[in-house]
This record gives sequence, C-alpha cells and structure tokens, in this order.
Amino acid sequence: MKIKSGFVLRVVGGENVVVPVGEMSKTFHGMINLNETGAFLWRFFSEEHTVEEAIDALCSEYEADREQVEADVNRFVDVLTRNGFCE
Amino acid sequence: MPENVKTIEEVLLETGKYIGPTVGTSMLPMLKNRRDTIVVKAKTERLKPLDVALYKRGNLYILHRVLKVTDTGYIIRGDNCYYDEIVPEEDVIGVLTEFFRKKTHYYCTDEKYLKYVKKRIKHYKSRRFFVLTWRKIVAGVKKPIKWILRWDKRKK
Repeated sequence: MKIKSGFVLRVVGGENVVVPVGEMSKTFHGMINLNETGAFLWRFFSEEHTVEEAIDALCSEYEADREQVEADVNRFVDVLTRNGFCE
Repeated sequence: MPENVKTIEEVLLETGKYIGPTVGTSMLPMLKNRRDTIVVKAKTERLKPLDVALYKRGNLYILHRVLKVTDTGYIIRGDNCYYDEIVPEEDVIGVLTEFFRKKTHYYCTDEKYLKYVKKRIKHYKSRRFFVLTWRKIVAGVKKPIKWILRWDKRKK
C-alpha cells in the first residue's frame, strides 16, 4: 500500500497537517489533521509498504500492545482507502 | 475524497487558522503556484504595513501584501504585481503568519524573511520600470513579426 503523491505533511505549531500540492490541489480542497501516530503512518505509507510492515514498525516505535496497534492501523488504512488517498 | 469541504472563511472562523496550498503567481518569488503551503491566522487586530493579508474579492481569496494602512482599510499589492488595490477593512479576514517554501519553514517574524520583504518593496519602482519596459519591447517586436508572417502566408 502507498499513499498517492500530491500531498505533503507539514508540522505547524506541533500539529501534523497534510495539504495537497501540485495537480492534487486542483481537485482536493482541504487539509487533514493527524495525531502523532497518524503522522507516523502517513510517513511510513509514503513509500510502498504492507499493513503488516506498518504494524511491526508501529509496535517497535511505540512499544504498544500489538492487538491495539493492529486495530488502529486497520482503521487508519480503512479511512485512507475509503477517501481515495491510496494508489 | 471527502465531500464536506468548508470554505477558507469558515475554517478561519471555526479554528482561527487555515493551512493550505498557494494558488497563483502574484506573490512570486516568495510563494510558487501550488508548490508552497501557507499558514494564515484569523484577523484579530488591524494589520500593519508589510503584513500579508488574506482578503475576499467576491468568491475569490487573495493573499497580497499590505503597503499602507488607511482609515477605512488598506493599500495592498502582490509582490509580483504592478498595480495597487484599495481593500476595505471588512474584506480582510486573515494574515499570513508562516509559510513553507519548498521544504523550508518560514515564520513571518524571521529576520531573513523581513529582510527579503524590505528589499522587495524597496526595489519596486525600478523593477516596475524594467518589467513594464521589457514587456513593451517584447510586444513591439512581436507585432511586426506577426505582420510579416501574415503577409507571407497571404503571398503563398
């Protein structure tokens, strides 16, 4: 899975915000606020990775409960896919 | 893509801040069309000269620099424009506080940024003279070439 090109993640006042650039800004008029985990996953999926790899990366980064991480990553991926952010 | 999109004005009213892409060439060379990102805060007080104002003209949102503060509004001009605009106070809804130029994050209070702004304003008259003269020269050269090409076509 990989996030479409045409978005940049900016950190403004400690907030993680994704905004469109280039051609994408002609069709996508908005901004996406992400929490720290969301920003981590957004950066991770900026390159081609599987959901399993994202779960492993997040577990090693935050030392969190694997089941909880799995649920969070799946929910994040679902939101990305439903809103057409994935290639 | 999500459908419940709010206008910039609504976002500013609700959150006090708007972060988004730049559109247009009027603030070149500082902001490039659809490449850079702007951070605009809702207006809470009157703007000062050299601030970059976000204002509404009909349904359009425009981001240009304040040159002069008047009793009822502002004299405003884009960094890459050669005309002034008179903008009433009530049309101005926000002020640029930060921006991302390529990957670099700038604050509008940065010394480097303020230096650039002062330089840009200072050389406006000479830049205007050279740009407008150059445009006249280009137009003056293009016209006879067009006539020659048309005349050549008719001849054939």
